[in-house]
Amino acid sequence: MNFEKERKDAADSIGNSRTPESIVRRDFLRALSAAGAAAMATGAPQILASPSQSDSLGSIEHPRPTADACILLWMAGGMAAPDTFDPKLYLPFKKGLPVKDMLSTFPAIDTAVDGVQICKGLENIASVMDRGTLIRSHVQPDLGSILHSRHQYHWHTGYVPPQTVAAPHIGAWMSRVLGAPNEVMPAFINIGQRLEGVGESEELKAFTTAGFFGSEFGPMNLPYPDQAAVSVRPPKGMKSQRFANRDKLFRRLVDASPDRDRMSDYQQESLLRSMDAAYRLLSSKDREAFDITLEPKESYDAYNTSRFGQGCLLARRLVESGARFVEVTTEYVPFLNFDTHAGGHATMSRMHAEIDQPIARLIHDLEDRKLLDRTLVIVASEFSRDALMEGKPGSNANDQATEKVDEISEMKHYGLHRHFTGGSSVLMFGGGMKQGHVHGATAPQRPLVAIEDPVSIEDLHATIMTAMGISPRMGFQIEGRPFYVTADGKGRSVDALFA
Amino acid sequence: MTSSLIYSSLRFFACLGSLVLGFGLPVRAESIDFVHDIVPVLQRNCVHCHGGREAEGDFSLNTRAMVADSGYVDLDSPEDSYLLELVTSTDPDVQMPPSDRPRMSDQEVALVRRWIEDGMQWDADYTFAIDTYEPPLRPRTPQLPEASQGRDHPIDRILDDYLAKTGLPLPASIDDATFLRRVSLDLIGMLPNGERLETFLADQNPLKRSELIDTLLDDQIGYADHWMTFFNDLLRNDYSGTGFITGGRQQISHWLYDSLRTNKPFDVMVRELIAPPSKASQGYIDGIKWRGEVSAGQTLPIQFSQSISQSFLGINMKCASCHDSFIDRWTLKDAYGLAAIYADESLELHRCDKPIGETSQAAWLFPELGRVDPDAPREQRLQQLADLMTHRENGRFARTIVNRLWYQLMGRGIVHPLDAMQSEPWNEDLLDYLAVELVNNDYDLKSVLRLIATSAAYQSESEVASEQSVGDDYVYRGPRSKRMTAEQFIDNVWQLTGAAPTKYDAPVIRGASQHSGEKNSDPIDLPAITGQWIWGPLENGTAAGQQSVVLRKTIKLPAGVVAGGAVVTCDNAYEMYVNKQWVSGSKDWTQPQAVDLRSALKNGENSIVVVVKNEGESPNAAGLFFQAHLNLEDQSKLVFQSDDTWEFNPNAPKQVNNKLSRIRGPWQAATVAATLPAWAKVVNQRCRLILAEVSTMGDALPMVRASLIKNTALMKSLGRPMREQIVSMRPDRMTTLEAIDLANESSLAEAFAMGADRLIEQSDGDTDYIIGELFRSTLTRQPTDHERELLMGVLGDRPDKSAVQDAIWAVCMLPEFFLIR
Repeated sequence: MNFEKERKDAADSIGNSRTPESIVRRDFLRALSAAGAAAMATGAPQILASPSQSDSLGSIEHPRPTADACILLWMAGGMAAPDTFDPKLYLPFKKGLPVKDMLSTFPAIDTAVDGVQICKGLENIASVMDRGTLIRSHVQPDLGSILHSRHQYHWHTGYVPPQTVAAPHIGAWMSRVLGAPNEVMPAFINIGQRLEGVGESEELKAFTTAGFFGSEFGPMNLPYPDQAAVSVRPPKGMKSQRFANRDKLFRRLVDASPDRDRMSDYQQESLLRSMDAAYRLLSSKDREAFDITLEPKESYDAYNTSRFGQGCLLARRLVESGARFVEVTTEYVPFLNFDTHAGGHATMSRMHAEIDQPIARLIHDLEDRKLLDRTLVIVASEFSRDALMEGKPGSNANDQATEKVDEISEMKHYGLHRHFTGGSSVLMFGGGMKQGHVHGATAPQRPLVAIEDPVSIEDLHATIMTAMGISPRMGFQIEGRPFYVTADGKGRSVDALFA
Repeated sequence: MTSSLIYSSLRFFACLGSLVLGFGLPVRAESIDFVHDIVPVLQRNCVHCHGGREAEGDFSLNTRAMVADSGYVDLDSPEDSYLLELVTSTDPDVQMPPSDRPRMSDQEVALVRRWIEDGMQWDADYTFAIDTYEPPLRPRTPQLPEASQGRDHPIDRILDDYLAKTGLPLPASIDDATFLRRVSLDLIGMLPNGERLETFLADQNPLKRSELIDTLLDDQIGYADHWMTFFNDLLRNDYSGTGFITGGRQQISHWLYDSLRTNKPFDVMVRELIAPPSKASQGYIDGIKWRGEVSAGQTLPIQFSQSISQSFLGINMKCASCHDSFIDRWTLKDAYGLAAIYADESLELHRCDKPIGETSQAAWLFPELGRVDPDAPREQRLQQLADLMTHRENGRFARTIVNRLWYQLMGRGIVHPLDAMQSEPWNEDLLDYLAVELVNNDYDLKSVLRLIATSAAYQSESEVASEQSVGDDYVYRGPRSKRMTAEQFIDNVWQLTGAAPTKYDAPVIRGASQHSGEKNSDPIDLPAITGQWIWGPLENGTAAGQQSVVLRKTIKLPAGVVAGGAVVTCDNAYEMYVNKQWVSGSKDWTQPQAVDLRSALKNGENSIVVVVKNEGESPNAAGLFFQAHLNLEDQSKLVFQSDDTWEFNPNAPKQVNNKLSRIRGPWQAATVAATLPAWAKVVNQRCRLILAEVSTMGDALPMVRASLIKNTALMKSLGRPMREQIVSMRPDRMTTLEAIDLANESSLAEAFAMGADRLIEQSDGDTDYIIGELFRSTLTRQPTDHERELLMGVLGDRPDKSAVQDAIWAVCMLPEFFLIR
């Protein structure tokens, strides 16, 4: 085998067939067959029922996808629905205001959809509400003690920690099952979350992983969007010509190796294949997608509210270039951002400013580029917040508010400081979802629990996976245990959300 | 039966994670779930006569196909199914189950009806058929076949016979260079340098290979550094990770490293893990305590049950801790029986997170060897389990570990995957022979490694296994090549480039052990003893029985600690805290403990607090001995010890935890006790040796190894696991994200740049030397003429740094470098 030539042939064949459908299908089939016999010998996960075994018993059918890419905008730390997308009775700050009366700390504003209001401070998002579906009845289990690390783990993997096997992130499922539309691009990209040097970082790493799928399907982590380009550039100080020469030297050494007769060795093959794929990304034009400084100034400025805003811009560029799943987070850092244990109103004003413009702009940009129809954008959080109630009615969770007062005397008391799991909001744009639609509702008075059409994490995941063309019952066998894309294969897609 | 057949019949369904959603959710009409809804009904009513080996009336339920073909079920017209007629019939001659057995309930019949109506969903691969292979429990000494062609090594006698019977050729022997590279990487994780290669090649001694094996195995630090990776994976021990933040997890690093360094017999290791004599090895059974509610399948006692089963027996108790296993014979009761050995309180059995109204009774898996007394106190139960696990008649224990070692060296398990020890080995004699050898050598792991490495089988060419062939039923054709682990790759890049860090994270004593394997160690000058035995106020030199007091030393350091540690012992027991963190403890004063103080002590003020306890009913002698030797960042050395500058406080905390709580009351000067002859003996025989070890730490020690460093993004990408779960096999394939890191990760790029500087300096810029040295120290061979020419063309006569850097990178990326062949 001539490695150098083979690489070129492979590159050519990619260039010839870049129509979305064909690539989607080819990658899909390739991903499915990748769990071939070889996996069995190594103890790697084996695919369970799948279309490739459609003649076998107990097979499942994958739904027809309504989206090719997915962007998850993660409101990390517990975004208070009553202060964002589910406004309740607003009472302004006043000394002596009883906490039990406090529901929303922002007044409601109209949106592009008649009769649907969200909170003041989110005017830009209000203007694009006619492009999306708003779920107001997302519910989470209590898990005994409300902990961001566990609830985020649950939301991102679909499974409650701890697990006997390492559970994959939903992005890893898409990466494993679908691959990336553009072969050169990593399929799962994770933007904005630092995994070193922040509180609970080990707990964050526990779900920011491909788990038992192995790191091939794991996230490419880009904590700083403005540094993302560095991750796909040749090493610092190495010009592209030198980088190309280095790669060439490598390939010539491979071809010159006296070990040539080992070319068919599966480990050697996988090594050369991966080296080749890495080189293709690092030397390709596609890597410019990672460089947000290449964006026109007007557009860059529109997004540049924060690292989150920059992340939204990066996500758009990556999806345009053929990424499959991109998560952008406002970043979870204990007691920061949406994790408001005190001074919640003031922090929420800042968070509004951080997310409002970039999210709306992302929707507009995707729409202008005719990508919104096939891109599912989700805005979600691990749970909501409430001024008074920790957990949900009947919960035995510890109250974690840092200032426990009955009456408000200072601004720091004004805000929603308890973790609430009884009803939260999720926004979904594009990707086959209804437009200008509201699903479910929470009670007008405390407890602000979901009273209509509650949507659990497993059903929400089933909906997302269905949109992406993956059956919620798809599973892999690992250590003798079938492990499904939605918890135990029980998630059911919420059909009412689809257009 | 072949391994793939066994594998395809594995079936297990889990229900962890399906916690009840609770408030606000409407009841949903669930569709039928075969494994959870139907399997129990069939098992209760039908499988007894129509499943497994039974097929009364020629009707078997084993697979969906058998049911579908039986004609008993009509999927087009479900209501006409004969099966439904049978189970609903009131005619005693027709009805099923037969009239002498209990009838199916209406609810059960309704479930089966709906199941048939829904198309008789049947999870892929599920079968009621019984896996006929059951691994033997007792050890067995196999009859060795005759040696052929003079190959009389026991492993070769077995494998040559195997190959002859399978009609396969003997794999060719490898040359000295290939052997040197392979065995160095396999036993100590490091490549030989160019010098060692030349010496080895030049050596005419016919026994040089086995002597090299001995040399490598005698390299205490190299061996311990390398095998830390394996054991950290197997025992899910790490220096950072989930759980540490809340104190829900404790390291066993110090104990583990010491056990490897001194080549502690494996049975002793496991006894100390299952029934910890001190806190040092306790982290393993205590698992990871998560905050908040966890499913019944992940409580600490259940984690214990799962961990000991997987680590030491290769048994998957994860399935059985939720419901009776579908993949082997273990049941919910077995899983909870093990858990109850560990549990403080009585444990209620939960099936799939729901209590079933049964309390578990402490019991272990193989009562043939003896039992755990459920009424004994916890410590005794653990001790009994430890003894049963390591019972010489427990062949499964020995087979499990030798299979793991075989995999490490030969690239594929004799039973594979390694944690599915219920499967049939591809060569039973080989597995049994290795297991018996381990036991006969008193569980000396190195003896098994030596046995394997000295075989002609190990020293033969590795098989070229194509993507297709690895999926086929395994046939032994020679060793399989192994991918370097993350740690091996990084270590060897560090060795090549000089880029290793100077500090490591693992709290371990990395000095050469002085008290074992003396045969090759040089006599050294042992440090002088300056420490004294101290206590609180003494009466006639004695302290009250059961007295517990606190001793304290506050010490100000002018600089941080680079290396060093202390030796501690106390008559009768102590728990020691440095800056409030627990670091060491023991109840056996005749076994002084080494304590690593590098990471515990800081520049500035430090407090060393030791909670000490005297045993006995009446007053008797009591004393604490402590002596520390430190190398500081400012190049100075510091020795301090227990003496009259220490303080004493009578208010010992009642509970001893990992973090010291506040101690109240006034502090007074400690009393120096007269040294008993027995104490002096321990100090002279043991403490001085330990001090010699800890004081050599940092002085001329081998390079810091990646196995002693906290996990990094790069290592993770190269396959080092997070160690929240037990891992026995690392990934054997490369990934694209990994390759991106290899191409541009900054610490690697810096290392290659450093390596270029060093190589140019060493060679005085001589290209020919650079090329030769690069190949020798990476691929353990000379370059071919073609390769030399190729690199000459790229490097030129006076190579610049970037060209050399790129050449090092390119060579290190070659499969020949990455793979251990």
